[in-house]
Amino acid sequence: MGEDRSFRDLLRGYSFIAPLVAILLAFVFVPVVGTCIDSLYREVTFLPRAFIGLGNYQSLASDPGFRQSLRFTVLFVLASVPLELVLGLSFALLLHRPSPARGALRACVLIPWAVPAAVSGKVFELICNFQYGLANYLVQRIGLTDGPVNWLGSTGGAFFALVAGDVWKTAPFVAILFLAGLSAIPEDLYRQAAVDRAGPVQRFARITLPLLRPVFVVALLFRTIDALRVFDLVFVLTRGGPGGSTTSLSLYGYDAFTGGDFGYGSAVSVVLFLIAFTLSVAYVRIGRFGRELS
Amino acid sequence: MRSRAFSLALCAVSAFLACVAATPPSRAGTVTFAVGGAPAEFAYWERVVRKFEGKTGIRVELLRQPTDTGLRRQGLTVPLQARISSPDVFLMDVAWLAQFAASGWLEPLSPHLGKEGCAGKEAFFLRMIDTVDTYEGGVVALPVYVDGGLLYYRKDLLGKYGLPGPPRTWDELLRYSETVQRGERRSRPGFYAFAWQGAQYEGLVCDFLEFAGPTGGFRVENGEVTVDTPQNRKALRFMRDLIGKYGVSPPNTYTEMREEEVRSFFQEGYALFERNWPYAWPLHEGRDSPVRGKTGIAALPGWSQGEGAACLGGWHAGISRFSDAKPESVKFLCYLTSYETQRDLALHLGWNPGRRDVYAAPELLAKNPHLPALRAVFENARPRPLLPYYSRLSEILQRHLSAALAGTSTPEEALSAAGREMQAVVTRYR
Repeated sequence: MGEDRSFRDLLRGYSFIAPLVAILLAFVFVPVVGTCIDSLYREVTFLPRAFIGLGNYQSLASDPGFRQSLRFTVLFVLASVPLELVLGLSFALLLHRPSPARGALRACVLIPWAVPAAVSGKVFELICNFQYGLANYLVQRIGLTDGPVNWLGSTGGAFFALVAGDVWKTAPFVAILFLAGLSAIPEDLYRQAAVDRAGPVQRFARITLPLLRPVFVVALLFRTIDALRVFDLVFVLTRGGPGGSTTSLSLYGYDAFTGGDFGYGSAVSVVLFLIAFTLSVAYVRIGRFGRELS
Repeated sequence: MRSRAFSLALCAVSAFLACVAATPPSRAGTVTFAVGGAPAEFAYWERVVRKFEGKTGIRVELLRQPTDTGLRRQGLTVPLQARISSPDVFLMDVAWLAQFAASGWLEPLSPHLGKEGCAGKEAFFLRMIDTVDTYEGGVVALPVYVDGGLLYYRKDLLGKYGLPGPPRTWDELLRYSETVQRGERRSRPGFYAFAWQGAQYEGLVCDFLEFAGPTGGFRVENGEVTVDTPQNRKALRFMRDLIGKYGVSPPNTYTEMREEEVRSFFQEGYALFERNWPYAWPLHEGRDSPVRGKTGIAALPGWSQGEGAACLGGWHAGISRFSDAKPESVKFLCYLTSYETQRDLALHLGWNPGRRDVYAAPELLAKNPHLPALRAVFENARPRPLLPYYSRLSEILQRHLSAALAGTSTPEEALSAAGREMQAVVTRYR
């Protein structure tokens, strides 16, 4: 009787998580495995399908266009994610202080996050526009330059515009994460520290930062993965130009797909997936995230 | 407790069954027509469809696509690759025809041509239908409207500076540009003489082929790519120098200039010359256009007189091999390419018909006196290389042309690097 009961409990437990498992299988596992399989084939619309093993990956390794987009993507992550974390933490610390306008300020900060990336990309395009852009209006008004500047015309300029667009949009998201982390830190700790005569710097370094570590790891994880697969912002703002210098890996894979080569595009996606996966595992390990949870 | 779980399960099952039952009834015989474009174009297609339905009783459903060419292509590639029966009829950019045909997605049309209300081959531009619309000896698509690169010029400005007429060579174009720009800059600091499509996208390749002329461009023969030629280097140097050294094309040519940016730049009076497709003409002549009545159209210049090359553009209609309404789709396609529909498209949208015989229609000539000249441009327009993997090559070329225009590589480096990468792609697909 008792054994029967526990078996039924077990069954009931599994039946509760079954929908979630089914969704994960259908929408995560199947596409990932399918993409991995496709990447091993010559899967081109105008040629017969054929198994070519790691052929697509070999082609990728000797493809300068792929190397260029890999380099851009890595640099983009390295430039935008640290900025987003620092700015996000600063916003969070400011917004955490009690003030009469706190609610309104918090809502304001969230606005960029609520704007779709394609729209914010368009906004930055308008700012950088050569003929009508706000940036050119300002620099000429102030008298910094004689004529308009072609902001997106240099490799550095286009890169900087993309980083700025990403930071503007996602620093608020990081701020909200940190804000949640800050509210979870008990006030008692600060009061005790004050009794022990710890200054504000010490309190920040010894209490706030260590207790924010789990949130920090989550923010780092989210932002790194998101920045790695940047597509919409690049697609709208620079479309990979000039000279392909701002082609992200996602865009490079997309171009392969639209050109009819699903195998090659899948190989690009798998490489992107492996990078994101490796980094995620590393972050969780380094952040000792598993221990924090248990 | 148990009975509640049971009733929940029952609800779920019945909801599922309801969903299954609610799937639309069989739409056999309904033609789905995928088409994109500006709102005015879409509204016009709706009228075409209603007229066709009234005439034949065949139902046609319009599948609205975005305006962007790349997104339109993606919206077709996905269902076709999945062999889904809808859309049945769709419009394709001439640049993707080879890929669609080689992928086996297009229904052969040859058996229907010249029969039961369908135009015969001779009604269309012969060179076009025999090259871009034909795959392995059979016709697989029909031109709905055609495009070719043109040179727009400001008649009033040429007259003001005593210049005889539109330039016939690139050297003349440069000379005229420098003269007029020097003068116009005094009253208009943002004036640049020559606007063209230099952003990193398909349009850049079209412009490059036109600068390179009939002996330039790129070819794939016996699996060998030819792109790094003296003629192409000369063309690319010229394109770069128009922006940099001579400064007659705006600095944002290689970052922002696509068709619409070029058109509005010229239309607002900032340029003397404009390279664009025919669609710009009715807009320049629009009621609120500052250049209305001041604009002329000419064939593009060449390196020597009469050696200009227009890039062939335009949209062609085809039927999906996976369509479940093929006879109805054939009727609809024939209606799209009928004399009346083609003439009305030209009258109402200002498009250039894919049918050659429509160009003599008196009501069209009255509205657009340039038509005979345009017909000559289209007859001689050069298609981009007809390769199933054309877009893969184009994407590489765009990247390197853009690098040369941005100054991050020299034209020589850019073309040789493009050649190497294009060769790798060709080798992979052989």
